[in-house]
Amino acid sequence: MSELKKIDRRDFMRGAAAAGFVGATWAASGEKTEGTVWQLDPSKCTQCGRCATHCVLPTSAVKCLNQFNICGYCDLCFGYLQPGSRNRDTGAENQLCPTAAIKRTYIEAPYYEYLIDEDRCIGCAKCVNACMVFGNASFYLQIRQDICINCNECSIAKACPSDSFSEVPASKPYIYLTGDESTTKP
Amino acid sequence: MKEGVHRSKHPWLVGLCMVAIAVAYFSLLGQSGFQEPGDQIRYDVSSFRDLDHIETRFVETGIIEPGIDKPKAMCVGEDGKIYVAGENELVVYGPEDKELVRFEIKASPICMTVAEDGTLFMGYNDHIELLDASGTVQAVWDSVSEQPYLTSIAVSDEEVYVADAGNKVVLQYNRDGQLLSRIGKKDLKNDIPGIEVPSPYLDLAINPDGDLWVVNPGLLGMERYRNDSSLVTSWYRASFQLDGFSGCCNPTHIAFMNDGKLITAEKGLVRIKIYDVTSGEYQELVAGSREFPREQSLKDIAVDKKNRILALDPRNNAVRVFELKEAGDEKRT
Repeated sequence: MSELKKIDRRDFMRGAAAAGFVGATWAASGEKTEGTVWQLDPSKCTQCGRCATHCVLPTSAVKCLNQFNICGYCDLCFGYLQPGSRNRDTGAENQLCPTAAIKRTYIEAPYYEYLIDEDRCIGCAKCVNACMVFGNASFYLQIRQDICINCNECSIAKACPSDSFSEVPASKPYIYLTGDESTTKP
Repeated sequence: MKEGVHRSKHPWLVGLCMVAIAVAYFSLLGQSGFQEPGDQIRYDVSSFRDLDHIETRFVETGIIEPGIDKPKAMCVGEDGKIYVAGENELVVYGPEDKELVRFEIKASPICMTVAEDGTLFMGYNDHIELLDASGTVQAVWDSVSEQPYLTSIAVSDEEVYVADAGNKVVLQYNRDGQLLSRIGKKDLKNDIPGIEVPSPYLDLAINPDGDLWVVNPGLLGMERYRNDSSLVTSWYRASFQLDGFSGCCNPTHIAFMNDGKLITAEKGLVRIKIYDVTSGEYQELVAGSREFPREQSLKDIAVDKKNRILALDPRNNAVRVFELKEAGDEKRT
């Protein structure tokens, strides 16, 4: 039976330092990979509603955005109003959003501006679907990176029926409809 | 004697527990643990869609496949020829929908009409081109506005009317291309509400009596103008029911039947319907979501000399032909 060689603390520290040096050298010489974050592609989204129900956060990190250079500023906005609503006003019974997260502001006859209150938005895409069917499709969903905890395996991505989710470079974390952040601002 | 070995008095009970734990584990693996979206967060307009699932007097009797890329414009000449234009190509059909001629054109016109003398007026984003019957460009009328988007064109004996969705007006030209006036601008003193164009659809047409009718898509109705730009009459019908127009901006396209009845096409819930143009009274449905289940909008509609309704359908890049069932039955027999 061979006798096991005892390793003292000094030998152990030397070995660890050598391994650390080799590892650091290998990492430095290799191709640098940029960090990624989860994001959804609005062109693939089918507004299934799972962004609202399948996020691990209490309120989903997915929020609705309005692309203002596409929005028609309609009085009869189907992203805002229930289909068949009696009046075109801010009455709760007339609003489509289940959390009243869309703010309607009069601009001039007959145009209105629609802003999303993201604290209220649950990312259900009900307004996105309505705007797509009846309007200009200016509403769309995006993951808000300041809310998302960037899970290793995004639970919404796993449930998404249209494979809209992917990891994108953290330096370009949003996919705007017209490719420009400024157009999401009024 | 071995020590520390402890035997259960009920090994079958331990086995049963282990099987139960395994079953529970694997069944939970298959569940996400998240609730599926309920009715409150689903957008459902199927009840409104079902409204047009009714028997109509019209039937689809044929299809014309021009075989061109992305056809957007269609019109019918005084001689009954059908013109369809798309990406870099225009096709002309004669009697029995037989192809007569096909020629190259520049880019993709959005709208098109043909004058009595056979001159083709092609509307592009920002200019108009006049072509002779062989496709040779005779004249080009450049844009007169900033950010134009020309979506419809109609020709009378002396004038040419062009819908500019970008500037929410109708441009009135003489036949030489000289701009005469802008029709439809907001003028509350003269009771003109102004044409509203939330999405890039603005159509116009001249009826058999020679009256100019313009869609006001944002107000979901029709307006008739004199050639001095004054408004004669108007009617608006915002409703999800069959007798009205749904969505933010409809109708998207119009045409007139030979007896003067108005044909409308809508986006969203895609429907083709007939109205009395003077009163705005809904008359009947031609085709609805059963015939157009997935389309967002049609590209154009027209009526030919046989009173057939032609719908340029982007789904199959073809012209779908609808006519009264009696006429369709005669054709089949």
